[in-house]
Amino acid sequence: MRRRLPEWFLLLLPAIIIIAAVVLIPLIFSLYSSFTPYKLTRPSTLWKWIGFRNYERILEDWKFWAAFGRTVLVLTIALNLEMLLGLGIALLVNKVTWGQRTLRTILMFPMMFSPILVGFQFKFIFNDNVGLVNNVLQSTGLSDAALPWLVDGKLALFSILFAEIWMSTSVFAILILAGLFAMPRDPLEAAKVDGCTPWQSFRHITLPFLMPFIFIAMTIRSLDVARAYDIVQIMTGGGPARRTELIWTLMARTGYVDAKMGLANAMGYVSILLSIAFTVYFFKKLSAARAQLGMTG
Amino acid sequence: MTEVTLNNVVKRYGAQQAVHGISLDIADGEFVVLVGPSGCGKSTTLRMIAGLEDITDGEVAIGGRVVNDLPPRERNISMVFQNYALYPHMDVRENLGFSLKIAKRPQAEIDQAVREAAVILGLEDLMDRKPAALSGGQRQRVAMGRAIVRHPDVFLFDEPLSNLDAKLRTQMRVEIKKLHQKVGNTIIYVTHDQVEAMTLADRIVLMRDGHIVQVGTPLELFNAPVNTFVATFIGSPPMNLVDGEVTNAGMIRLTDGQEIPVPSAARAGVSVGQKVQLGFRADNLSPVGHGVFEDGEAAELDLAVSLSEPLGTETLLFAELAGIEVQGKMLNPRPVSPGERMTFRLTLGKAHVFDADSTNAIRSN
Amino acid sequence: MDRNKTHRNRRRLLKVLHFLGLFLVMAVICIPGLWIVLNSFRPTVEIMAKPPVWNPSFTLDHYRAMFGGAGEGGVPVFSYLWNSIVVSVVSTFVAILIGMSGGYAFARYRFKGKSGYFVGLMLFRAVPGVALSLPLFIVFARLGIIDTHFGLILAYVAMNVPFTIWLTDGFFRQIPKELHEAAEIDGCTRWQAFWRVEFPVARSGIASAAIFAFLTSWNEFALASQLTRSVGSKTMPVGLLDFTAEFTINWGGMCALAVLMILPALILTFIVQKHLIAGLTFGGVKG
Repeated sequence: MRRRLPEWFLLLLPAIIIIAAVVLIPLIFSLYSSFTPYKLTRPSTLWKWIGFRNYERILEDWKFWAAFGRTVLVLTIALNLEMLLGLGIALLVNKVTWGQRTLRTILMFPMMFSPILVGFQFKFIFNDNVGLVNNVLQSTGLSDAALPWLVDGKLALFSILFAEIWMSTSVFAILILAGLFAMPRDPLEAAKVDGCTPWQSFRHITLPFLMPFIFIAMTIRSLDVARAYDIVQIMTGGGPARRTELIWTLMARTGYVDAKMGLANAMGYVSILLSIAFTVYFFKKLSAARAQLGMTG
Repeated sequence: MTEVTLNNVVKRYGAQQAVHGISLDIADGEFVVLVGPSGCGKSTTLRMIAGLEDITDGEVAIGGRVVNDLPPRERNISMVFQNYALYPHMDVRENLGFSLKIAKRPQAEIDQAVREAAVILGLEDLMDRKPAALSGGQRQRVAMGRAIVRHPDVFLFDEPLSNLDAKLRTQMRVEIKKLHQKVGNTIIYVTHDQVEAMTLADRIVLMRDGHIVQVGTPLELFNAPVNTFVATFIGSPPMNLVDGEVTNAGMIRLTDGQEIPVPSAARAGVSVGQKVQLGFRADNLSPVGHGVFEDGEAAELDLAVSLSEPLGTETLLFAELAGIEVQGKMLNPRPVSPGERMTFRLTLGKAHVFDADSTNAIRSN
Repeated sequence: MDRNKTHRNRRRLLKVLHFLGLFLVMAVICIPGLWIVLNSFRPTVEIMAKPPVWNPSFTLDHYRAMFGGAGEGGVPVFSYLWNSIVVSVVSTFVAILIGMSGGYAFARYRFKGKSGYFVGLMLFRAVPGVALSLPLFIVFARLGIIDTHFGLILAYVAMNVPFTIWLTDGFFRQIPKELHEAAEIDGCTRWQAFWRVEFPVARSGIASAAIFAFLTSWNEFALASQLTRSVGSKTMPVGLLDFTAEFTINWGGMCALAVLMILPALILTFIVQKHLIAGLTFGGVKG
């Protein structure tokens, strides 16, 4: 009797098993292979131990650092803009007196789009030849020549960011809106009577209340930052001339196109650490915000 | 026969002990109320009887059968929860019939039992509603209906009235008592409200810190509290307690030097120099001419009234006696102004003496 | 008097700005999707026209081509659709069963290191699909389950379990523990109490968790693009790439497939949208 496993563990066991089998074990394997010169085309290379040489190569490679830096930059810009835009949209919708449900439904629209679809959609819209944007610009006479949205490095980065933000802002907007709905009225009214300006009552009452909701959105979002890969892969494939290369596209190219699995797995580990860093950071923020509002338990 | 017996029942959570060896015999058909301040272990005890908590040590028997390791469903009990715990996805009829359905009774029997319960509790018109569409009092009645449908051996109530407003609470209290008179089952009822305990119980079990402090009928606890905890917990307003010391003249000298005779009921139990507390209820401290005075021992005190609370038929008076605020009662009240000095009569025949160190009551016999 | 007037004017201006802002936001959200839908009904010549044609004509050519015969440009749309449905439905079902059991453990039991387990599980969700696809590709190839429904389903279950646990944990936590105790006293075993009381009460929440899992599988690309190779297992997101494999991109056909892909997602989401939001917030806030 005593030696039986506790019930909670039995209930968790299937989850633990499937994750261990499908995620943990492959990750351990990839950790090992990141210390070998493993190439898909030459299986015997899997048994050659080369220590940290792959990592050394990555760290010395400016192309990797450029992709890494660009990834962090894109994520930082995207997450912050998404949060701000989401907040703004939520406030706008919250002020509406009629048709709120319809607006909310429309807001959820981009959440259902596959990232690959978003990539394709904006590849079409930003296409320099037949894209909607250039067609409009040229027809209205705002621009004579077709703008190379996906070919010019800076414009391409902008297009990618636009697609990324289009796709993910709604998560923030929806969750922050839910927070606004759940917000008690009394403190706001008390603040009004106490003479707060709209900005002051937003800053000191609404915003602190919304913080946990913002962090939930951030946490949920951070679980899935890497899906930007799908968008970039389809819109530019990391090009032109690596100017939109992110750590994930670089990894995929190294692994599948160049077949250098060991090296790609080493990059993979850097990207995993990056993702985990984002997630842990927001989990911490989330529990801090919860504790502050006494929402635990 | 469904008596419930607790034999040295202990509950430990890790190093922390919530219930310290409780023993209790509950007779068939008895209405027993477990009462005490929050955290005293009363709910834990009830949940151990229900089978919702493991019993660390000791024995619980229902109807002569030890049930320690039986799951709740095999104990033939039913329970009314503080927040009712109605099944939100079922209507009232389904809620009432759920336990019989689980027991795979024939549909005709279920319908019959549900109908009977509905009549007893006046739920006939609500049968097709979901719990969300019911008021607090109605939910409470459905919860009780669900408990009686299956004719259990024992009813368990876990603070069933604490989520109701004051008026409804009084009303439901009466309904619970009527229900008990009608079905006559053994009931174990947990509350933190001494008024509920006094009004409902055949026998009160007063608990503190996981121990039973006193067991007895409501009047026994009211008239003969075993210590100052019982004295102040039972009764409203709580019993006045004034510190003093026993002198060799058979008096209690209060801290301000005033002396009051030791009540005869305690006289043989005290020793000279003993630190004691004199306890008396507001009912027994009244201004001369405004109380029910029984013949016998009494003391007269000259006190300044600091505050008065008119309640209609009587007025509650607050005054300071030896540095302690005491309450008295004035019958046939007249207006009293703050600071007015009045002569009070303290009926010593109804007063109690407690040892100041152990807080236990001192009685001659 | 004057101050009243300026305040009134300012309010009017704010109202106009508010309306304009909303309109702009909604336009940006809606136009890209509508543009895809619109173009799926336009003949290819018109899409490619230079200068652009602004009043669209209507044709079902792309859909006819997609569903007819070998599919437009030889893209076997039906197979992809079938693969997507099988993989998404099965992986969602399994992930919900496993995730629900885990969520229940977190919601109902106390144990040491609970939050550690929880965050740990979530971190596995954070592993980028591309990074995971590299070793999975090799392992699955060794096991011979690459390019099969089974392999992809396995991967998606593992991917969806953590988030399903997060959501169902939140839903079960909302259900008072007394409900389950009442059911036990009413004669249920623990198992019965779960299926007859707690599960039905949490049903809408579990449905929304299922939608999330379904959408994730339905839309996933990074893993699918590596773990599937042939018509027999490629899902729609991967199939979409077939249109770009040539030098000329078949925009109209792609748009039609895109519409086919988004439609089930749209319908499912709108059915449970209310619970979807509640699910996300409850899971997170009342941690």
